[in-house]
Amino acid sequence: MRLRIYRFDPESGAPPRMQDYEIDFDARGRKVLDALIALKEVDETLAFRRSCREGVCGSDGVNVNGVNGLACITALEGLREPIEVRPLPRLPVVRDLIVDMDQFYRHYRAIKPYLINLDPEPENERLQSPADRAELDGLYECILCACCTTSCPSFWWNPQRFLGPAALLQSYRFIADTRDQATDERLDYVEDPYRLFRCHGIMNCVEVCPKGLNPTAAIGKIKSLLVKRAL
Amino acid sequence: MRTVGGARRGLGLWLLQRASALYLVLFLPVFLLLLWRAMPLDYAAWRALFTPLAMKLATLLAFAALLLHAWIGLREIFIDYLRVLPLRLTAYFLFGALYLACLAWAADILWSVG
Repeated sequence: MRLRIYRFDPESGAPPRMQDYEIDFDARGRKVLDALIALKEVDETLAFRRSCREGVCGSDGVNVNGVNGLACITALEGLREPIEVRPLPRLPVVRDLIVDMDQFYRHYRAIKPYLINLDPEPENERLQSPADRAELDGLYECILCACCTTSCPSFWWNPQRFLGPAALLQSYRFIADTRDQATDERLDYVEDPYRLFRCHGIMNCVEVCPKGLNPTAAIGKIKSLLVKRAL
Repeated sequence: MRTVGGARRGLGLWLLQRASALYLVLFLPVFLLLLWRAMPLDYAAWRALFTPLAMKLATLLAFAALLLHAWIGLREIFIDYLRVLPLRLTAYFLFGALYLACLAWAADILWSVG
């Protein structure tokens, strides 16, 4: 199997390069992460993040043959060789396939990803009707792997100012939550030519989301709420 | 430096772009239908098509919607690619002026039909 991996070591002072590898590896039923782990046996200087290796933790987001995805659930079979593995686009590279997620998390932090409810805490829990709870389906499953945000051209052009699909999906997750009391403040925060309205609905985010979520739909719902509030 | 940004901006233009698109979607089929009914479309039929005031107004509104839609789209492109603020403002102004002139011209042409 032939692989072409993005290599960069900031301490060496050398510019980034693509390194070709040829390994003896049976691709059947295996994932890209399996190949990367096998590759590390050959070349221990290769650096990448991984943890749960089953698509739950979201730490091994990479760009495989030009498409963002989680290495651990991207099947090797059917991939054109040499399989090109690059770090997620538009985030600073720490080393090889490891990116600095700081900007991504900053946007996530900015949308206040927690319930804001000033009522005294009830004895047990804040209850929701099953219908209200169902509103959160397709939102809460996000694992913050950054595959969507780093596939969005609007994020590439304005990484500091456009919140990106992941943070906007999370923002809607709390806007949609009936237990949250800060809806107006949340809407105020996103109503901005950069933070929200850089999204032109091209749906790259939907295409790559490893959890099958739809940030574009969530962004559309935020816009509908903004319209409803304004009129 | 302080970054300013914020609340309560951007929705109006986004909504206007949607509204203008909606108007064009409604106007164009009706306009094409009228064209089709006016066949064969010689000079007299073409003039007769634009003689009623309602048609003049509807067509002018369509031009206004088209130009507004285009200007908002251009603004989005300028926001992404023209990072130097004076340059961006100049581009807004120039295209705004150009499109307004186009609109005035469209009105002039429409109302030249007796």
